[in-house]
Amino acid sequence: MIDNSSAFRVKKALGLFMMFSLLAFAAMPTLWVLILSIREQSAVFQPIWESPLAVTLENFLSIGRSDFPRALLNSFITAGTATVLAMIVGVPAGFALAKARLSGKFIASWILLLLRMAPPVGFVIPLFITYVNAGLIDTYTGLIFAYMTLTLPLITWSMWNSFSQIPDELIEAAIMDGASLTKAFALVAVPAARPGVVAAAILGFLVAWNDFFFALIITRSSTTTAPVAVMNFISYDSVDWASIAVASIALTLPILPLMAIANRYIVQSLSGAVKG
Amino acid sequence: MAFSSTRRQRGATYEIQRGYRRMIIPALVAVSVFAIVPLAGMFGLAFSDYHLIRGSEGRFGFHNFVRLISDGRLMGSVYVMAILSIFGVVAQVLIGTAVAVGLQKIVGRWRMGRVLFLVPYAVPHVAVALIWLSLFTPTLSPINAFFDIFGITVPSFLTTQNGAMFAIVVADTWTNFPFSMLIILAALQGISPDLDEAAALDGATRIKTFFYITLPLLMPALLMITLFRFIDSLKHFPMIFVITKGGPGRSTQATNFYAYVQTFQNSNVAYGAAIAVTLFLMAALISFYVAKLNQRVSS
Repeated sequence: MIDNSSAFRVKKALGLFMMFSLLAFAAMPTLWVLILSIREQSAVFQPIWESPLAVTLENFLSIGRSDFPRALLNSFITAGTATVLAMIVGVPAGFALAKARLSGKFIASWILLLLRMAPPVGFVIPLFITYVNAGLIDTYTGLIFAYMTLTLPLITWSMWNSFSQIPDELIEAAIMDGASLTKAFALVAVPAARPGVVAAAILGFLVAWNDFFFALIITRSSTTTAPVAVMNFISYDSVDWASIAVASIALTLPILPLMAIANRYIVQSLSGAVKG
Repeated sequence: MAFSSTRRQRGATYEIQRGYRRMIIPALVAVSVFAIVPLAGMFGLAFSDYHLIRGSEGRFGFHNFVRLISDGRLMGSVYVMAILSIFGVVAQVLIGTAVAVGLQKIVGRWRMGRVLFLVPYAVPHVAVALIWLSLFTPTLSPINAFFDIFGITVPSFLTTQNGAMFAIVVADTWTNFPFSMLIILAALQGISPDLDEAAALDGATRIKTFFYITLPLLMPALLMITLFRFIDSLKHFPMIFVITKGGPGRSTQATNFYAYVQTFQNSNVAYGAAIAVTLFLMAALISFYVAKLNQRVSS
């Protein structure tokens, strides 16, 4: 009976309208970039409905001929290396922090959180001065070191959370059966926490891949990363919007499959405490 | 025999605890080298008079912090940061909750539609900023073109302080609401549907159920999101750098950006470091609270 009342219909319509607005807000910019990326250069500033057929693949081809692919490669190399190094160091540390009887765990968790939350401008000022003196500006090594400040706290923290969710008995049983701690870690704990390991690696890669600030300050032309290289399409007198759209797509595409894999674990890895 | 076996066990436990410690040492060293040392450097610089071009004259003391207190631009930057944080966090929590509650009702074939809402979260911040810069550029934006049909001229947001801050908040919200959405979706899954049913049986309306049953149960998740997003918003950089360049004028230089300007544009390294130290101490306070919260919730 209530279901037929006009009040209910109004509410339902309002709900639908809200859902539609949210969907539009979420999807419109993505659609816009996809459209912009295939617009002919001469039609970029025209409303879409005035020249809907001014479509071309030239923007993708011209990006392919520019320096941008090199910058993408730089991003892969630096974000990938910083992630692998941080995994090698951070995964065992996360395991030990979760399972060892240690004092000072609270301090450790605070420091890890703080390092993740500290404003990067604080890290970058001393790094910049050190790098200028040590000749590390515009080198892979310099950028990878800088990215370690992002990836290592994040990976250690999220592995700590993942390993905490594995029952202690599992590790104890393996050790009772005569396994060394290293074996219990590598053959029991890591496989049991595999989703967490994957999520940690993905999260680490994401923060380094997304970085703009460090690369802006400590790289120049030869090791510049893709997020900084996009800015080259903006010059004093003009902005190459179509190329920016293509570059944005190129920056996002490698992330999408990672997100699809990790989205279930991102929540747990990031906070680890929201299950309440 | 029993005695010796206990001793062997005790020895083994000791051995294991030592093994754990060995696993932490590389990370400890790495964290010290990659993070603690630069941070110590930042503190050192904040008390110095280091200038990127002139170098240092050897002055050491609190002069940068004295200057901080009377710096009008710093106060302005804190205001910008506060506005960006508050509006951004509120918008992200509201939209994230709305989408999560809506999505939760969708089951079956359309469930995969969730992934659509994750796309904004996957776009790197520079790209987010550039996309929204294009949408806020009147000569380019399809939004402006659309309203032009009806003879409505959309104002140029980036020419006023409030408009420019609005643009940054919109871009920030677009890319970060999926984070709130994910956390709230996970929290909603932890709430038993029996509670809703019981409330419905007792005659509660859906809206009442949401506000009196669901919302209180979501509070820990909402608190976590607010803290994480708030801390992230202390670090605002690419959005400001790309969308407004701190302008119009200097009106959207949030504190983090102001520290960058002082250090790398004005070459005032020492003063920039002092601003960074201030921000760092704020982050330290908040992260201490988060760590406490985390300890309480997980135990």
